[in-house]
Amino acid sequence: MRQGRLIATGAMLAFCLFALWQSLLLSLTDRLGPGPGFFPFWLALIGVVLALALLFTTFREPAAPAADDEVRILPYGAGGMRWLAIVLLMAAAAAAMEVVGFRLAMLVFNAALVIALGERRWWVIALFAVGGSFGVYYVFTHWLDVLLPDGRIWS
Amino acid sequence: MDALHHLLAGFAAALSVKYLLFALVGCVLGTLIGVLPGLGPAAGTAILIPLTFSLDATGAIIMLSAIYYGAMYGGTITSVLINVPGEAASVVTCIDGHQMARQGRAGSALGIAAIGSFVGGTLATVALVVVAMPLASLALKFGPAEFFALMVAGLCLVVGLAGNNMMAALLMTVIGLLLALVGVDPVRGAPRFTFGVEELYDGIGFIPVVMGLFGVAELLLAAEKRQIHMVEAELKSWMPTAAECKQSVGAIGRGTVVGFVLGLIPGVGAIVPTFMAYVLEKRVSKTPERFGKGAIEGVASAETANNAYANAAMVPLLALGIPSSPTIAVLMGAFIINGITPGPFLFQEQPALVWTVIASFFVGNVLLLILNLPLVGLWAKLLKIPFSYMCAGVLIFCVIGAYGLKQSLFDVWVMLGFGILGYLLRKLDFPIAPAILALILGPMMEKSLRTTLEISGGSFAIFLDRPVALTLLAVPVIVVGFLLFKPRSLAPLRESDVE
Repeated sequence: MRQGRLIATGAMLAFCLFALWQSLLLSLTDRLGPGPGFFPFWLALIGVVLALALLFTTFREPAAPAADDEVRILPYGAGGMRWLAIVLLMAAAAAAMEVVGFRLAMLVFNAALVIALGERRWWVIALFAVGGSFGVYYVFTHWLDVLLPDGRIWS
Repeated sequence: MDALHHLLAGFAAALSVKYLLFALVGCVLGTLIGVLPGLGPAAGTAILIPLTFSLDATGAIIMLSAIYYGAMYGGTITSVLINVPGEAASVVTCIDGHQMARQGRAGSALGIAAIGSFVGGTLATVALVVVAMPLASLALKFGPAEFFALMVAGLCLVVGLAGNNMMAALLMTVIGLLLALVGVDPVRGAPRFTFGVEELYDGIGFIPVVMGLFGVAELLLAAEKRQIHMVEAELKSWMPTAAECKQSVGAIGRGTVVGFVLGLIPGVGAIVPTFMAYVLEKRVSKTPERFGKGAIEGVASAETANNAYANAAMVPLLALGIPSSPTIAVLMGAFIINGITPGPFLFQEQPALVWTVIASFFVGNVLLLILNLPLVGLWAKLLKIPFSYMCAGVLIFCVIGAYGLKQSLFDVWVMLGFGILGYLLRKLDFPIAPAILALILGPMMEKSLRTTLEISGGSFAIFLDRPVALTLLAVPVIVVGFLLFKPRSLAPLRESDVE
């Protein structure tokens, strides 16, 4: 936990330092008053101070027992596999959606996700996958006027 | 008198078939979201935004508000039946509610929760009618300096409730504010932090970020844990007995007052009023030893305070434009999506909308009572939905919500990225609520500050010349100062307890 918090705070410090540098590339003031860089500059500066203070206080904290499940930050075991399945399938669906469109991308996503999460009845998987892709597409585009991606291969 | 006239006109609109239907759908979906463990009101409201894309502004806000307070009630069902709070505010209900279920009094617990929620929500809405308009009139006298100070005060109150995590909460607020600055500068129109990426010119979308931080992150956390199995509780009757109702009258009254007063303070999450109402009830009880063993007053006080808080939290949003919690921030996002800026001008510029929405709160409370009392058994059955289908279903809505707003797949990636970030931040005990509020308030804060400084010719001394702004800026200094140097005897309140 402590190590994770140190890494996360370090990342936030890097983010604030980057924002500080970027804000200095913008004008801090102009003839009308504060410029586009004014607010981000002061915010990033405050962020740097806070991140350093947090790093210092976290560093002084005693380390928690490493074997404690509650303090494990990254997913692991069977739960970790489910976690990974959700992330990878979401990423794959987002990448595929531009090419194959919402319907096909979500058809595969739904089927793969419920299988990865333990469903084995093929007819339930098929029904859910079709309903959650073609069915949802129909409802949102025809009834709710929400535009969803059709995909490059169809256009 | 003016308020009453507007409210009656609001009722006329809110009772039209169209808006009644939106409120009904919102209440049903909200209760469903509340029932499903792991999905809180913030995530639920965010993921269901796509359903409102085709609605007019009034209809969209009526439906989303109904989802919000429906979710606040729905969490009760799981708290009572399986000892798992559907959302954080229902944690306190578990204490006596589940004990009652184990004694075969689940129906009474759920019945009194529905009645308490109805009374608390309705009385809080009456108070909202009385308080909101004078508060908005007062806020109309505010200049940019006062608004800036008000937003700083609101954010600092949220930070103050992070307890031991206050430094992390402050840092998260700054990160949220910095993320809010991505896009075109609202004053000069210059692009900032866009790095030539076209999609970033509009800024980082609030809705994809909220969907990621709450919806996707909550699913990732749930996926890691073991599945929850429902323990069938016996539902002999859904109505509490006359004796139980009599026992709960005082608790409902006190819960309403506690919930409403705390709902007015930005940053006080829903769990604080429920906890305080429960503690108060135990203190005033002649038999405090019954608490924790199935005391119906424990359920009544917590649930009443919960819904009174939910309705009262709309006051700072409608009258001042300040969201007091992430869920209210999502509702504020819905206002903005529909081209409406919540705040004091709302009562002048959109009286029909705001009073119809307020009237719909009354209607929604009645609908929730009708829905929840007889349908408790049906809601309980929803707990049997396997996690795999719930997870896939929620992710479908997240994808549609993230994409549908701007028809941008970039926003789907933003949602996924923030989902992973939200998962890690929760694991590391970094508070997310301040970042969410900062993200939505950031552009307005910057605009107010820069306008103030343009008026003063760049001098911060303008804040010293404005007593209201100075007082409001003193609030965060006092809160943060007190919490940094508070006596050791005061137990810290962690952010995880707040949202």
